[in-house]
Amino acid sequence: MMKKRLLGLTLACSMAAMALAGCGGAGGDSEPTTAATSETAAEKAEEEATTAAPVEAAEGDTVLKWAVWDVSSTVYYQPLIDAFEAANPGVKIEMVDLGSADYQTVLATELTGSGSDFDIATIKDVPGYTTLVNKGVLEPLDDYIAKDSIDLSQYGGITDQVQVGGKLYELPFRSDFWVLFYNKDVFDNAGVEYPTNDMTFEAYDALARSVTNTNPGEEVYGAHYHTWRSAVQLFGILDGKNSIVDGNYEFLKPYYEMILAQQEDGVCQDYATLKTSSLHYSGAFAQGNVAMMNMGSWFIPTLIEKIKTGEYGPEVANWGLVKYPHAEGVEPGSTLATITCLSIPTSAPNKDLAWEFVKFVCGSEGAEVVAKTGTIPAITTDAVVAAISGMEGFPEDEASAEALKTANTYLEMPVHEKSSEIETVLNEGHDNIMTEGSTIDEGIEEMNEGVAAVLGQ
Amino acid sequence: MANQKTVDPNAVKEKLAKLEPQLLALQEELGNTSDKKKRSRLIKKIEYTQGKIKQAKTGERLSRQTKRDLVAYSFIAPNFIGFCVFTLVPIIFAFVLAFAQWDGNNAMKFVALDNFIQAFQNDRFLASLKNTIIYCIATVPLTLICSLGLAIILNQKVKGRNFFRTVSFFPYVASLVAVAAVWNMLFSPQKSGPVNMILYNLGVAAKSLPKWSADKDWVMFTVVLFSVWKNMGYYMVIYLAGLQGINGELYEACSLDGANTWQKFLYITWPQLQPTTFFVTIMLTINCFKVYDIVYMLAGGSNGVLNKSAIVLVYHIYEEAFRNWNLGYASAVAMVLFLMVLAVTLIQFRGEKKYAN
Amino acid sequence: MKVQSKSYKFWRAVLYLVLIALAVLMLIPFAWMLSASLKLDKDVFIFPIQWIPANPRWQNYVDIWTKIPLSKFVLNTSKLTLIVTFLQLLTSSFAAYAFAKLDFKHKNLLFMAYISTIAMPWQVYMVPQFIMMRSMGMNDSHMAIICLQAFSAFGVFMMRQFYQGIPDELCEAARIDGMSEYKIYSKIMLPLSKPALSTLTIFTFVATWNDFLGPMIYLKTESKKTLQIGLRMFISQYSSEYGLIMAASVLSLIPVLVVFLALQKYFVEGIAATGVKG
Repeated sequence: MMKKRLLGLTLACSMAAMALAGCGGAGGDSEPTTAATSETAAEKAEEEATTAAPVEAAEGDTVLKWAVWDVSSTVYYQPLIDAFEAANPGVKIEMVDLGSADYQTVLATELTGSGSDFDIATIKDVPGYTTLVNKGVLEPLDDYIAKDSIDLSQYGGITDQVQVGGKLYELPFRSDFWVLFYNKDVFDNAGVEYPTNDMTFEAYDALARSVTNTNPGEEVYGAHYHTWRSAVQLFGILDGKNSIVDGNYEFLKPYYEMILAQQEDGVCQDYATLKTSSLHYSGAFAQGNVAMMNMGSWFIPTLIEKIKTGEYGPEVANWGLVKYPHAEGVEPGSTLATITCLSIPTSAPNKDLAWEFVKFVCGSEGAEVVAKTGTIPAITTDAVVAAISGMEGFPEDEASAEALKTANTYLEMPVHEKSSEIETVLNEGHDNIMTEGSTIDEGIEEMNEGVAAVLGQ
Repeated sequence: MANQKTVDPNAVKEKLAKLEPQLLALQEELGNTSDKKKRSRLIKKIEYTQGKIKQAKTGERLSRQTKRDLVAYSFIAPNFIGFCVFTLVPIIFAFVLAFAQWDGNNAMKFVALDNFIQAFQNDRFLASLKNTIIYCIATVPLTLICSLGLAIILNQKVKGRNFFRTVSFFPYVASLVAVAAVWNMLFSPQKSGPVNMILYNLGVAAKSLPKWSADKDWVMFTVVLFSVWKNMGYYMVIYLAGLQGINGELYEACSLDGANTWQKFLYITWPQLQPTTFFVTIMLTINCFKVYDIVYMLAGGSNGVLNKSAIVLVYHIYEEAFRNWNLGYASAVAMVLFLMVLAVTLIQFRGEKKYAN
Repeated sequence: MKVQSKSYKFWRAVLYLVLIALAVLMLIPFAWMLSASLKLDKDVFIFPIQWIPANPRWQNYVDIWTKIPLSKFVLNTSKLTLIVTFLQLLTSSFAAYAFAKLDFKHKNLLFMAYISTIAMPWQVYMVPQFIMMRSMGMNDSHMAIICLQAFSAFGVFMMRQFYQGIPDELCEAARIDGMSEYKIYSKIMLPLSKPALSTLTIFTFVATWNDFLGPMIYLKTESKKTLQIGLRMFISQYSSEYGLIMAASVLSLIPVLVVFLALQKYFVEGIAATGVKG
C-alpha cells in the first residue's frame, strides 16, 4: 500500500514537473521523465546502429535504397543484387521491405512530398503505377532509354501498354501470364483425356463437365475460378477485339453464362462460399479434387516448392500446364499478363546509378538471373523458356513446356488515368453477377453505367 | 506573497467604486429572474465580480480565478501539448484540405466547395452514407443493451465470474481474421452452413436462403450482428468499471423500502450510470461512424473491395485517399462524417447537462 | 418464502444456461485459432471446417520463431506498449482531473476540441501527419509510434467520465483542509479510480499491442518492426501461411489476457468498497 502511494505521488510530482517546468510546487526527482529521455537516447543510438547494419558499406561506397516486398520469400532479389554489385564495384544495394499487402499505399505515402530517400521503387501493379505517375513522383525513363539505346521490342510490346502521355516511367523485369493448371490424376481417374494447348471455350467447358462428380462426399470439380474478377471477366478480352476500359461490357455475356451454368451444375465451387470462406486458390487446388484451374504463372514455383517440401500431398503431385482456352478463330496462346517493374522516384538521391541498376535488372543479364530462380522474366527468349521448363519439379510432358510460349499478351488492367476507379466498378459488377444478386444483363448494365460515370467525370 | 504590491488606496477606491454598483445591480437582477439558465449565468458573473473586488482590495496581481486557471492548465498541459502537436495540427490541416484538391505531392489547388458537390454526386459516397447511418442506428442501441446487461449479470456474485468476464472480452481481442472466419462460417451461404441449416429446417426454400455476407440484401444485417457480438465485451468492461462507482448503501436503502430488482435498476443503477452511459453512447456512436475494418474483413472478399451494398464512409475515405489519392475529396467526406458525429455528440451533451441539473 | 427460493433457483439455472451459451459463442473464435494454428495453410479455410486437425502440426509453433525474428518483434512491441500505456495513463488521468473537478476558462471549448477529434478517422490526417513526423526526423523510429499513441483524446474523455462519478464533496472537503489540487489528485482521485485506470490500461494495452497501420507506415527497418507487422510477413504476394499466423496470434493473445485477468480484480473494489464518507 505504501509503495503504491509512493508511486502515485511520484507520478503526480513528475507530471507537475513536466507541466510547469520547475515553477510548480513539485519537489523531488522525476523518474519517469528521465526514463523517457534515456529511452529517446537509446532510440537514437539504435537508429544509428540499424541504418548502418543491413548493408556493410565500405568507405566511399554509394548505397542505393530499393523499395521491395516479401524479401524473405522472394528468391530473386539477392541473386540480382549480388550480380549487380559484382559488376559495379563501389555500389551497394539496400532492400527496404514495405510488406506485400499494403505495399502500394506505404510506397505512395513514403514518396509523398520530397523527403524520401528511395533510389529505386518496385512497382507492383498497374493501378498503383498510374497513381504514382499521376502524382508526378516517378522519373520518366525515356531519356535514359534513348541514351543507352535500349531495345524496347525485347519486351514484346508490353512497354507500349504502360506508356502514360507518350512517356515511359517503368521498365518490367518480371512478367507473369495466365495458364491453365490441371491435375493429371483427376483426369486419369475419370478416364478422360488431358486438356490440350489448343482448346476452344466450348471444348474446355465440355471437358470440365466430363470430369465433374457431384456425388456428396466424393465431389470433383471440373474447374476452379478464384474470386478475382480477372479469373472470369478477362476471358472476354482474349480475342483482341475488346478492351476492359472502354465502357461497354456486352461482350462478357457468353463467358458469364458459361461460368454461372457451371456453378449451377456443381462443375465449379460456389462463388459466394469461396468469397466468404477466404479460401486461397492454392489451398483449393491442393485438395486434389479440382481438375483444372486458370491461374497466373507465379503459381508454378509455389506449386513446385510446396510439393517438394511435402506440404502438398500426392493428390496434386501429378500436375500439368496448358495454354489458356481461346475463342473460336483466335490463335491459341493469347493470355493475360501481369508485370512487375522498376521505377526511379523523382526524389531519388542517386538517379544515374539507380538507372544503372534498373537497366541491369530489366535487361538480358537480369532476365537470366531471374529465370534461374524459376520465375519468368519480362524478356522471354527460348533459352528462358528452356530454363524454366527444365527446372526440377516442372511437369515433364511436352505440352507443359509448350504452354509457356505465349502469342498475344494483354495486361490484366491496361494503363488508364482512371484505372483504379474502373477496377472498383468492374469488381462490383463481377461480384453481383457471381453471387446472383443481379442477373447477367443487370450486372453488365451496372458496369456500363458505372464506368460511363467514371469516364465522364 | 511574492507578487503582492503596495496598495495604493486611491486606485483601490476608484476600482471599488466601479465594481460595487455592478455587483449590486447583478444581485438585484438575480432576485428578479426565475429562469434557471439565466440565474446560473448571473451567479457566475457575481462570483467573478466578487473575485475582482477581492483582488482590488488585497492588491494581488493574479486573481484567484486566474490562479485556479493556471493550476487547471498545468493538469491539462502534458496531454494537451502532445495531443496538439501530433493530432490537432494534422487534423486542422485536413480541414483546410477539404476545400482543396491535393494528391499529396503536386501543388494544392483551392476549389471551394467542389469536393462536397462531387461527393454528393458520387454513387459510392451516397451508398456509404446510407449504409453507415443504417449501421449506426442498428448497432448503437443493440450493443448498449447487450453490454449493459452483460455487465450487470457479471457484476453479481456468479460462479466463474472471472472466467465469463474474460471470455466476453475475447472476441474483441482475438485476431480479426479468426473472428471474421468464424462468423462467415456460422453464416455460410451454403445450405449446410449452421444458420442456413436451421432456416432450411424451419421451412425456408433452399433457393431463397440468404447468402449473408455475400448477399447484397443481407450483408449489413450480418455486419451489425457481427459487430454487436465482437464489441459488447469491450463496452461491458467500461460498464463494469462504472458499476463499481455505485454506492452499495443505496441498494440497501432501496431494499428496505421493498423495491424489486427492476425498480432497483430503474431508480439506482440506471441514473447512477449516467456518466458511463454518456461516455459509452458517444464512443459507440463515434466508433460506429468510423467502422471499416470489420466490414472489410467480413464482406471484402479476396480483392478487398467493398461493394455499394456494404461500403461505409471510412472505407470510402480510404479508397479515395490511398487508391485514388484524392486527399482533398477524402477530407471533404471526412468533414461530413465529422459534422454528423459532432451533431450527435452535442445532442448527447445537452442531455447530460439536463440530467446533471 | 419457499416459492420465492424455488423461482430464484429457476432463474439462476436460466442465468447459467444463458451464460454458458454465450461463453461458447465467444470461445468459438479461440477454438478456431487454436485449430488453425495446428494446420497447414492449405487446410485452414477448407469448408466444412475440420475442428480437430487429423495431423496436428506442432511444428508451426517452432517455425514462427525461426521464419521471422519473432522474439525481436515481441521485444519491440512490449517496449512500445509499456511506454505508451504508461504515458497514456499518466497524462490522461492528469488532464481528466482538471476537466472533471476544476473550473477554468474555456473548459467546455477545450473539451469539445478533444472529443471532436476522436471523430476524425485517422486515414484522413495520416498523410499530413506522416509528412510532419518525417520532417521532425521521426520516420522509421519508435518515437513516432509513441508520440502518436500516447496522447489520445479517448483516455482523457474516459477518465473524465469516471471522475465525474466521484462526489465533488470529497474534493471540497480536502480543499478546506488545505490540500493542493495536486495532492487531491494523487491522494484522493488516483486511489479511488482504480477500476477506471484498469479499464484504460486494458484498452490502451490492447490497442497498442494490436496496432498495425501505424507501425506499418512508420517502421521500415526490420529490427524495429512490431509483432503485428511480423504476422503480416507470413502473408506474401502469392501465398499466405495462415497456420503460422494463427500460431503467432495465439501466442500474442497471452499477454493481453494476462493483463486483463490481472486487472479485472479491481472491478470489484471501487468506491463502494473503500467507503466514500471518509
